Amino acid sequence: MNHRHLLPDEIDQLLDGEAGFGVAPLQAHLRECDQCRAAFEEERVVVEALEHLPRLAPSTDFASRVMAQVQLYEPWHVAARDSVVGLIRPLAPRSQPVRLLVGVAALSLAALVSVATVWLVGHADATLFFAGLVRTTLVRGLATTGAAAVQALLGRSATQALGGNATAIIVASISLYIVVFLAAAFALRAAAVSRRRRA
Amino acid sequence: MAVFDLANLPDADVVALAQQGREPAFREIIRRYERPLFSLIYRMVRDRETAEELAQDTFLKALNHIDRYRADFKLSSWLFKIGNNVAIDHLRKRRLATVSVSGAPHAATEAEVEATSFEIASHAPSALDQLESRELGSAIEKAIAALRPEYRSCILMRHVEGRSYEEIATTLDLPLGTVKTYIHRARLELRRALTPEPERGRAARADDEVDRS
Repeated sequence: MNHRHLLPDEIDQLLDGEAGFGVAPLQAHLRECDQCRAAFEEERVVVEALEHLPRLAPSTDFASRVMAQVQLYEPWHVAARDSVVGLIRPLAPRSQPVRLLVGVAALSLAALVSVATVWLVGHADATLFFAGLVRTTLVRGLATTGAAAVQALLGRSATQALGGNATAIIVASISLYIVVFLAAAFALRAAAVSRRRRA
Repeated sequence: MAVFDLANLPDADVVALAQQGREPAFREIIRRYERPLFSLIYRMVRDRETAEELAQDTFLKALNHIDRYRADFKLSSWLFKIGNNVAIDHLRKRRLATVSVSGAPHAATEAEVEATSFEIASHAPSALDQLESRELGSAIEKAIAALRPEYRSCILMRHVEGRSYEEIATTLDLPLGTVKTYIHRARLELRRALTPEPERGRAARADDEVDRS
């Protein structure tokens, strides 16, 4: 028998149920030494009493009292996404077969677009020619529409200041578009937050 | 908004939903942790009403700053860290307040302290007092109450909440060795408090012999 009694740390190791090479000799000593076994038993009783302590519950309205003071903050992109999903969801078909049909149609469309893309890449010269044509038309169209939008929102002097420069008109109209879009997103968020508060 | 079965989601997902401002996710966090947190704080301060206020403060500090939560920390550890700090702060303030009304600071003996103390209006035990004495009246609860607050939080986290030493060290911002020492000393003090007098002498002698060997 090992005549060195267990150290407090070693009793802790046994109480914590640790495993490993170092623990086997401690367990062997515990089986043979009455004094260490008595010390271990006393500690085990304490640990058992601690482990049987119940979790105590606060009063039943605790969660409601906390929630009444929680400041719910919904990030603007989440509010905007919720608003869009809220608009789209009523349009989505309810029955399973119709959903399946819509899904198949969407997949077919995606496949068609992929095939068209591959064809366009295969006919690069024709694609580039048509892309150039489309670009010129698009830039002219954007410049005309942008100029009309800038004139409508900021007046004739703004378009005169831009001096008929197509790039400047497009940049100005896109900036205006972004400003209007951001304002709409903030308005949506504010509406969603106030609706949630009312609820 | 999609309907989530929140009760089956892991903590990390519930927190992610709370960070998106989803109210049910906030409620789920409270539902999961109100008992463990309240139990810890109640056993630290031993007053039901105060414990409820402090547990409420803990949840408000956590939920109103949920965007600051770092995913590399366990949610439970984060909540226990805040709860423990709130309870320790309260005990510190209460100790300062008690010194100022429980006797002249220069009183040297217990009789002097008693002579200079205020008698706080004695009152018949209320329903809340009775509930408290039922909940915290057992020998083990009284022995826990006599421990130093640092020992108390460590031993409660270890044996009531079943946390590992490493987790306790991270949660309470203490070195691992300190946590082990605190838990060992807490067990020793509890053992002494719970062992009857004649056996305590024997146990103390056994401890001394072990220390000498």
